[in-house]
Amino acid sequence: MRFKGIAAVAGAECSKLSAQIKTRVTLAACVVGPFAFAAAMRVQNSLPEDTLFGRSVKESGFALPLVVLGFAALWVLPALTSIVGGDMFSAEDRYGTWKTLLTRSCGRSEVFAGKVAAALGFSLLALGVLAVSSIAAGLLVIGSGPLVGLSGAQLLPSDALMRVTFAWLSVLPPMFAMTAIAILVSVATRNSAAGIGLPVVAALTMQLYALIDGPEIVRQLLITYGFGAWHGLLTQPPYHRPLVYGTVISGIYVVMCLALAFRILQRRDIAA
Amino acid sequence: MRPIAIEAIGVSKSYATREALRKVDLIAHGGEVHGLLGPNGAGKTTLLRVLLGLVGKDAGSVRVFGRDVEAGGALPDGVAGLVDTPAFYPYMSARRNLALLVRLDGKKRTPRGMLDFALERTGLAEHSDVKVAGYSAGMRQRLGLAAALLRSPQLLLLDEPTSSLDPAGARGVCTLVRQLALEGASVLLSSHDMAEIEELCSTLTIIDHGRVVFTGTVDELRSRATANPHVLQTSDDMAARALASRSPGVHVSPADDGGLHVSGTLAAFDTYVVALGRAGIAIRELQRRPRSLESLFFDLTATADLHTREATDHTERPQKPGWELAS
Repeated sequence: MRFKGIAAVAGAECSKLSAQIKTRVTLAACVVGPFAFAAAMRVQNSLPEDTLFGRSVKESGFALPLVVLGFAALWVLPALTSIVGGDMFSAEDRYGTWKTLLTRSCGRSEVFAGKVAAALGFSLLALGVLAVSSIAAGLLVIGSGPLVGLSGAQLLPSDALMRVTFAWLSVLPPMFAMTAIAILVSVATRNSAAGIGLPVVAALTMQLYALIDGPEIVRQLLITYGFGAWHGLLTQPPYHRPLVYGTVISGIYVVMCLALAFRILQRRDIAA
Repeated sequence: MRPIAIEAIGVSKSYATREALRKVDLIAHGGEVHGLLGPNGAGKTTLLRVLLGLVGKDAGSVRVFGRDVEAGGALPDGVAGLVDTPAFYPYMSARRNLALLVRLDGKKRTPRGMLDFALERTGLAEHSDVKVAGYSAGMRQRLGLAAALLRSPQLLLLDEPTSSLDPAGARGVCTLVRQLALEGASVLLSSHDMAEIEELCSTLTIIDHGRVVFTGTVDELRSRATANPHVLQTSDDMAARALASRSPGVHVSPADDGGLHVSGTLAAFDTYVVALGRAGIAIRELQRRPRSLESLFFDLTATADLHTREATDHTERPQKPGWELAS
């Protein structure tokens, strides 16, 4: 496997993504969504009080990105990552382009690695755009008032900004894990609907399990555990253990799903 | 001695319960157009897929320009191929599709002249900025050829490249194949169009039911025919055909351009001609014609069919083919 080959495939995938309407619409939604939410919060009288930081959403612009993050972790982030990851491989089956792709100078392992890099890159981009847009929307529409943390301590704007940024960064590992699941489904089923839909369903199922009274160890083995690990960053002092644990669990999901997906693709006959 | 472009030895491949290729040998030399002929389902496309590394083989070895080809590996530089109807990304223009493929070939920037040359050579220059979604099957076929040309092929594997083209487009592809061969490239041309193979190929391999039933030059194939057919003009073709049905060793069929095709052993043919005279049927014209590749192909694949059936029915009985089997 050559780095040059992987970079060529990743570049080609980025070129394809930039030509697709769904990519532009998704990124545009990531930009516009938080501003629309911030505007709605500003004009309405009631607050989303049952949501973490929902009570503070009109007081501090730093609360808004955390409300968005809490909501997005339920299904928006899995959906964002599946839109590209779940279609990355199965689209070649849909268009019948595997034979076109695999009769160039890149081997199958390079194609796999390049596509995975592009899918993970898109997840990173979508998360980054959503995070920046949410923080900007909070600060521009609500203001930069101090944030009251989960342990009741007031956080100065600079401290709050840093913690909010880290909170968004902390969901990157579970988001990558969701991307890996989407890739696995996409490779195994060769079906884009399954590739995009199943990871979202899986994420919702995991979220539901988190609400029922099951064994804690099972809860901790779910990807969704990592999606909530940022709560520890908003306490005084910060509590990092769930974050580390969620990252390790997400890493295991990434390695296992990608290894399985690679094996399936490598052994496949491109016969249709 | 010309270099060996493709060397496939003992290649076998099965899909579930179906044997697609059975110990297939194929050798094609540099600078020649090698035909791969066979009826639908014979295994031509599977063999091309194995040669391109799209499908893994169960047994045998494949070398292209001396390099082993394994499924999943990168295609060697200078090798290009089209399998089935070429497919592209429909939401992008032809030019953008080609630029993307050039990128996959390891070239960071696409020289505009290179794309223009490939598009012009395949007659797509005028439609190069149109999204591929609006392309006809024939245009996609030509775009596939353009994509192949971008690899500056020294070996080009083509799977029925004229199947979706109109006569003018098919003629263009034939001209292109000839030009590439003149420039020193090797072409493996899979087709079931005998006229196309006869026109373009210097050597050919015929496969049927996944087995090679002939490999060699067209002239060698002709020389292996049991007897060249005669074209016969008689005073009463109906009566002549009726007489043939009672004459062992000869086969008579109507010729496309009038008269009758007569084939069989020379002794049987002599007996038949004498019988015609005795029956009062005058012979107005008698010509000996070289057999067309098409009739030889049908004989060959029919023989293979027969042997396949016999082998299935009586596996213990040794086979005695009418044609020498190449593998």
